[in-house]
Amino acid sequence: MMVCKILKTRRSGMGLVDITLNIRRYDPDQDRTWWQKYQVSVGEIMRFVDVLRTINTELDSSLAWNSSCEHGQCGTCAILVNKSPVLACELLVERAINRFNTTNFTLEPLSIAPVLRDLVVDLEQAYSRVHEAQPYIIQPAPLREDETYSTLFPRNQEAFLEATRCINCFCCAQACLSSHHSFIGPNASMASIVRLMDPRETACEERLKLLYSDRGLYRCHTSRACSFVCPKEIDVAHFLALAKQGQFAHSHCSDKG
Amino acid sequence: MPGKFSFHDHISCDVLVVGAGGAGLRCVTEILEHRPDTNILVVTKVSHPQKSHTGTAQGGLAAVDPDDPIDSPIYHMFDTWKGSDCTADQNVVQRIVESAWDEILWLERRGMFYTRNEEGKLAKRTFGGHSIRFGEASAFRAVFESDRTGKGILDTMWGEAVKKGVKFYNQHLLTELLFNHGACVGAVLFDHKKGRFISVAAKMCVLSTGGSGQVFRVTTNCRHNTGDGLGVILQHGLPVMDPEAVQFHPTGVVGPGILASEALRGEGGILRNKNLEPYMEKYAPKMKDLAPRDVVSRANELEIREGRGVLNPDHNIEHVWIDLRHLSDYVHDVKLKEISTFFKKFVNIDPKTQLAPVRPSNHYHMGGIPTTLHGEVQDINLNVIPGLYAIGECACASFHGFNRLATNSILELITMGKIVGQTVLTNLKQTLPSNEPASEKGEYTFDKFSRYLNAQGKHNVDRIKSDLRSTMSDKVGVFRDEKGLTSALDTIHELQEAAQNIRLECKSLTMNQELAQRWELDNLLTVSLVIAQSALERRESRGAHTREDYPEREDAFNYHTLAQISPEGNVVFSQRPINMDIFESGADYADKFGYISRKY
Repeated sequence: MMVCKILKTRRSGMGLVDITLNIRRYDPDQDRTWWQKYQVSVGEIMRFVDVLRTINTELDSSLAWNSSCEHGQCGTCAILVNKSPVLACELLVERAINRFNTTNFTLEPLSIAPVLRDLVVDLEQAYSRVHEAQPYIIQPAPLREDETYSTLFPRNQEAFLEATRCINCFCCAQACLSSHHSFIGPNASMASIVRLMDPRETACEERLKLLYSDRGLYRCHTSRACSFVCPKEIDVAHFLALAKQGQFAHSHCSDKG
Repeated sequence: MPGKFSFHDHISCDVLVVGAGGAGLRCVTEILEHRPDTNILVVTKVSHPQKSHTGTAQGGLAAVDPDDPIDSPIYHMFDTWKGSDCTADQNVVQRIVESAWDEILWLERRGMFYTRNEEGKLAKRTFGGHSIRFGEASAFRAVFESDRTGKGILDTMWGEAVKKGVKFYNQHLLTELLFNHGACVGAVLFDHKKGRFISVAAKMCVLSTGGSGQVFRVTTNCRHNTGDGLGVILQHGLPVMDPEAVQFHPTGVVGPGILASEALRGEGGILRNKNLEPYMEKYAPKMKDLAPRDVVSRANELEIREGRGVLNPDHNIEHVWIDLRHLSDYVHDVKLKEISTFFKKFVNIDPKTQLAPVRPSNHYHMGGIPTTLHGEVQDINLNVIPGLYAIGECACASFHGFNRLATNSILELITMGKIVGQTVLTNLKQTLPSNEPASEKGEYTFDKFSRYLNAQGKHNVDRIKSDLRSTMSDKVGVFRDEKGLTSALDTIHELQEAAQNIRLECKSLTMNQELAQRWELDNLLTVSLVIAQSALERRESRGAHTREDYPEREDAFNYHTLAQISPEGNVVFSQRPINMDIFESGADYADKFGYISRKY
């Protein structure tokens, strides 16, 4: 790897802070990886996506990074900041300075899928593991004659509601101690566990086949790293633990676990 | 410098769907549920359908429950008509409202996690402009999934698409439509990830490319909502309808403008100014904080303009407050979970104990590609273009007229998605003449991309985009006037010139973000041009289109704007009449559907 010259913004003023970003870059055309430093003066309340945009606008329009909603609801902008998986749209500059106790930050792409360019990884490949976990109702339970939809009480949903908030940002998969080559990953597992806990799903055995396969839950070392890094603060490890014990409360599937 | 481009691949399919948000995927699932062997190609610009903007919709989904003893579809139709400032098409309003509840059930059966009440039934809440008995009292009409209803819809929908074996073409751009004898027969795609051009021959093309909010600096819209569908339609000399009808959400989180749902007010949140006065009663004595969005956005801006705003020191932006402190912990922690975390994460405010800073933020484009009730795209003479359909935010049927009611947008996505799915199914049954694309296909795209990569000059994509977005927010926002609009148009023309001299730093075709954004910039510039020019042309105030120099709604403007771009680059106008089917039906309450005055 080579290091290129440092690019600096020239602004300064009130509420601005000078930070240095060391970004791992990748050029697919030449299959070349290198580190590039950018020194930027940015607002303390700016998000990291805003900082990356500032780099595009003022220093280097070629730097590629991914995002979509930019408020933590889609999970497209996950990157490593000082080795921690985070959503770039949620990390404010002042929080990053406090959290890492520095104004120097290294930014790298996630390693759960091949890098396409700079900070952009091939999410399509990452998602193939989620698709494998069948993120839908495979076989819905029949309705009672007097129902037009399933009657579900809040207490039925309570146990798994948090897991439905997952946005597939793959921060948990990144932090997981198991390799994504041997384990389908925490988020993909959780996509299936949600449906095992959903009283409307009846195809439990089909789900358990994958979860209890050699790429399934027994690859989980219970490090709880997934819960620790989840930007949505979902206790992912809790759901993996329930599934390991076959405890799918309130569902068709509990006794089959 | 790149050599001459060519197609990497030629694909044939029955149906090409461009855009994999709620509308596109509902259309796809409808087709596959009835005709499983249909060869469908689903294309999206984002990395995966789950990253689509539908997923950010928060508050709810309006639909009258047939078991509701108080509510009635006619009230929902009336609210939508009144909310639209009498510019929605009544045939569309009736069709969508009457088919709404079926869609709620469709989603539930496929796994959407609606919030339930203590009886185990779908919980409901109220939103601005939704009433019973023609404005008498608030209607509890919206079902919801916490404050992530859009995510619930999107997750259900892409899950169903995966279940049905749909293969997504992610990170592909629609750069060109292909026509033969006036019929749409396919499209040119650019595979952004691999840097390849693909030609697609399709019996039907469905555009569901989403909104255009990125034309504004402060917006709730995602980074990818760059008006691409409108850009492609305009580049082919086809019209867009009511482009000037742009919604500004009253409560964007101060700074980035992130959406803070109307559900905040539906659950009891109160807007306050710097003196902590609950000022909405001044502007809408009856509905107060639950008046429609155009009314509340203007009120918020007026409070700030008249010196009753609060300055946010971090962003140096003036704002008003939304007071949520009196709401229960359950509401904060469960029903408004996501939004509560936004305030904590982005402005460091705990809405349980502190006032939360908000200001209007661009939110939704009521205007779009003109379509019939069945989603068929129309040309400027209102003739249907065979083989071409549009749904979702990029389309305009028109369900929302000049102001959309809360919770009506995701309702439109799924109902119109289904309707277009049915239209496509019907049309697939007919024996179609073999429509081979004309031989010069792709030349337009190749020429465009070649110009992008070869252009020289001092300009850069982000700087021009940033200037454009600031101009649009400052001069084509909540309040508009002739001076500001004229000046905005001058700036847009200058920026169009400057864009010719953008030198791209990265010359690769492969995963070149700069190249994709250069292409998006052309769409943003074109869409901004028709928005601003149409706003200038409409010398009246109607719904979200507020002209300070023409503050009243005028009967002379009781029509939809059609705007297209001439080969010389000028915006050319025509009109489409507003459909008044309900009013003209003579049925019960038909008299309520005339050009009524709008008080809340």
